[in-house]
Amino acid sequence: MTRKPPDYARRQRHRFSRRALLVGAGQAGLFGVLGWRLHQLQILDSSDYRLLSDENRMTMQLVAPSRGAIYDRFGTVVAEDRENLRVLVLPAFCKSLSATLDALATVVPVSSATRDRVARSARRQSGYYPVLVAEGLSWRQFALLNVLAPQIPGMRTDRSAYRLYNHSRPMAHVVGYVGMAGKEEVNADPVMRLPGFRAGRAGVEKTFDRELRGTPGAIKYEVDVRGRVVRELGSRPSTKGRDIVLTIDHHLQTVAQDRIKDHRVASIVVIDVVTGGILVMASTPTYDPNDIAFKVDLEQWKELGRNPDHPMHNRAVRGQYPPGSTFKVVTALAGLSAGVIDEHETMRCPGSYAVGRKRFRCWKSHGGGIDVHQALKQSCDVYFYETAKRMGIDHLALVARELGLGQTYDCGLPGQKPGLIPDQAWKRANLFDAWYAGETVIAGIGQGFVSATPLQLAVMTARVATGRAVLPKLVMSPNDPAEPWPLLSLDPAHLEIVRSGMIAVVNEKGGTAGRSALELGDVQMAGKTGTSQVVSSRNEHKLSAYERETHALFIAFAPADAPRYAAACVVEHGGGGSRAAAPVVKDVMTELLLRDPAARPAFVSNNQDAAPSAVAAAGPVR
Amino acid sequence: MKLLFAETPAPKLNLSKKLLLLNWPFLLLVTSIVLVGAGALYSVAGGALDPWASRHVVRFCFGLALLFAVAFSDMRWWLRGAYPLYLAALLLMLLVPLIGVESGGARRWLGYGEFSFQPSEMMKIALVLALARYYQWLPPEKIWRPDALVPPVLMIGLPLLLALAQPDLGTAMLFAVIGGGLLFLAGVSWFYFGAVIVGVVVALPHAWEKLHDYQRERVLTFIDPERDPLGSGYHILQSKIAIGSGGLSGKGFMQGTQAQLNFLPEKHTDFIFTMFAEEMGFIGAVALLALYLLTLFFITYMALRCRSIFARLIAAGMGLCLFTYVFINVAMVTGLVPVVGVPLPLVSYGGTSMLTMIVGLGFVLNAHVNRRVTLRREEAGALW
Repeated sequence: MTRKPPDYARRQRHRFSRRALLVGAGQAGLFGVLGWRLHQLQILDSSDYRLLSDENRMTMQLVAPSRGAIYDRFGTVVAEDRENLRVLVLPAFCKSLSATLDALATVVPVSSATRDRVARSARRQSGYYPVLVAEGLSWRQFALLNVLAPQIPGMRTDRSAYRLYNHSRPMAHVVGYVGMAGKEEVNADPVMRLPGFRAGRAGVEKTFDRELRGTPGAIKYEVDVRGRVVRELGSRPSTKGRDIVLTIDHHLQTVAQDRIKDHRVASIVVIDVVTGGILVMASTPTYDPNDIAFKVDLEQWKELGRNPDHPMHNRAVRGQYPPGSTFKVVTALAGLSAGVIDEHETMRCPGSYAVGRKRFRCWKSHGGGIDVHQALKQSCDVYFYETAKRMGIDHLALVARELGLGQTYDCGLPGQKPGLIPDQAWKRANLFDAWYAGETVIAGIGQGFVSATPLQLAVMTARVATGRAVLPKLVMSPNDPAEPWPLLSLDPAHLEIVRSGMIAVVNEKGGTAGRSALELGDVQMAGKTGTSQVVSSRNEHKLSAYERETHALFIAFAPADAPRYAAACVVEHGGGGSRAAAPVVKDVMTELLLRDPAARPAFVSNNQDAAPSAVAAAGPVR
Repeated sequence: MKLLFAETPAPKLNLSKKLLLLNWPFLLLVTSIVLVGAGALYSVAGGALDPWASRHVVRFCFGLALLFAVAFSDMRWWLRGAYPLYLAALLLMLLVPLIGVESGGARRWLGYGEFSFQPSEMMKIALVLALARYYQWLPPEKIWRPDALVPPVLMIGLPLLLALAQPDLGTAMLFAVIGGGLLFLAGVSWFYFGAVIVGVVVALPHAWEKLHDYQRERVLTFIDPERDPLGSGYHILQSKIAIGSGGLSGKGFMQGTQAQLNFLPEKHTDFIFTMFAEEMGFIGAVALLALYLLTLFFITYMALRCRSIFARLIAAGMGLCLFTYVFINVAMVTGLVPVVGVPLPLVSYGGTSMLTMIVGLGFVLNAHVNRRVTLRREEAGALW
């Protein structure tokens, strides 16, 4: 008789059933533990917790960081945080919001607009988030409120900071200003909701906002039911933002601003051709950031918006002008490099130039024997009409871009305009039309489609002066390698021809800017005037007398024999370049050479970022 | 009679039969828990369907479609697909450290554009299927043999280590509980479980000696959050105050004050039980726990009624998963265990965890529908 083999499968099923019941019982038991825990918390100790919940609540207050300071190149503070005494309310802790505001109104004025704003914020966000009632309190008001604190539930006083701009009007366009964070920024970083937290809105304040901002701290308080602080539980200090040191010399900036302020709209840029550092960037009309950064004066703000001359626009990077005759420097270099002209070739200027049926005028009849030197010195249009026509637009555009035109620079200035260096491809892509010979001819004297900003013209001048691919810089970085800029792909001999032409413009008899020669002994300035036309047959009838006037331009570098500084000045509707723009550059350049800021050591802050990075996307634009 | 039953060929099930066999009361129970969650989310949003409550319900409705699809699918199909699915999940988990997206200090997600995906969630299902598949294949008389333990321990160990590396302690713990629980239910000897426990107890002090001071400090803070009152301890204290102040009957729907204090970090996800217990009190909290417990009993009951070990283990495994989630979450917000960031299933807001749980419940129902099906060993195929 054989024994029946054990039925393992059946045994396994039984074992599973036994163990599944065991596991089920275990689960029930552990749920019992949870029930016991809930019983302990909600029944046995409930009164303790209710007390904690009703009488002692914790609240966390974020502490806004102090914003980094902005210095000029020699350490003059141009923007800094100053103490700001404020009063806020925590709506959740007020017995009644309006009663609290009434109590506050006995010490500080609370307008009905403020009441509306506070009530709106209280509705929109959690009641445990402080809402600003008034700021910029006097010490007297601040002390009085602190004394009254126990009688005013939900009130909180605090000391925060506001932004003070020194030398505000000349520096406004470069430094920019701060303002309340916009909705998108608040969504990206809730810290921005902190009352009094300001974000950069324009200029360096905007570009380097991340560096300047710092990181907020926090204080945890235990507060009672009326929002009074019982004790501080702990805190984490805030970290001050990084300082920024500009390459601007505020003294020269002020001199330049004073010099251009008599013109209705004008701007001037001066850069150090060796480092690319921008020493001066002035634009008129200007504004005072103190009016809009802290307590916004609504009337002032509206006025700024209404002004037809747009005082908040930085003309140095946002003004795009036809460069006029200053562009002849480019045409000359392009012609020489294309081999269509040489140093000795002479042309005759009968006062006009014919392309097909069309005639292009020269500003005067220069007669015969005009070589490239004379053409630059006397600014002969016909010479450059012919040069441009011989080489064609595409080569001209190539050299113009090599000289830094038609692009924005990653130097930390937001809102830069790229200007325009046209070529055949551009016209086909944008205007869906073929390029005409006449357009090449007028491009040769910087008219037509060609446009550039004053900053671009200054960079162009610096590149001509050094033969190197200079790029502008606005912020000092302490450990910047002092490497020279890479060489341009232009023949040094050609550059020398153009430079000698530019020296002649200012220093030779018959040069267009002869009256603006420096009076500094043998230190000379080289330059080129420009007078660009804004009127065309199409828009003539629409413009006022002021708007019909030509733009006055002047580019220059000095000292002529060993270039260190390059400048570009544009006076909108200022008339002739030699009359309106060149004298401005002469005065600024004189002050600059006497002061020689490039030779003096720059300021280094101990709270400076090693490598500030511009947030604004900037790069070559075709 | 018994003989007769065993020889009955596997019943052919068509859809109408499957619909009849489905456990409808169970589905009703699950739906009621989801609706409790929607109510809580409505309250958290300050009395608004947006942004959480409405989407919670919509997601559940989409989930239901998936649940039915899983419940009515052919069980043999899953039997054959268990290992490939497991391997795919393992491969994706391996990819996470290489190309994963980092969020909140841990790498858990695989993502491309708007679409993101957490392979460890897929692994929770795949692990249960793979273990069930293994024990369906293993002859019952060989269960006691030590070498039969090697494959399942590897199956559990690999994803567990990967989860620890992410680091995702909650998921690692879940893998350990599901894996250990299934081994236990499959019939692995008590002896091995005892040995593991003794081993851990012996090894712990030695590991402690080897840690650096700062590492010990971190572990201590993890175990006792109140050592760091500004950090995680703060949230637990807030959570306890909220729950405790709810008392017997709670402060009333949408009347919770502590949750509105805004210092509960994730009150619509991990800390939703806190808010619920504050507003609904002891009665509400216990009622919700009772709903979960009833669900768990249903699952155990369904597991017991299945004939094949495959179906039994699948149902029980998903039950273990649900239990672990609920227990860890509630224990965490009541301060019984350290904060590990585990959602409350079906109640917390969040797409991925909801999806996993619903698919898991779909498998439970699949097992239930196929409860009369007997699977022969050969149907499982070879070991690999």
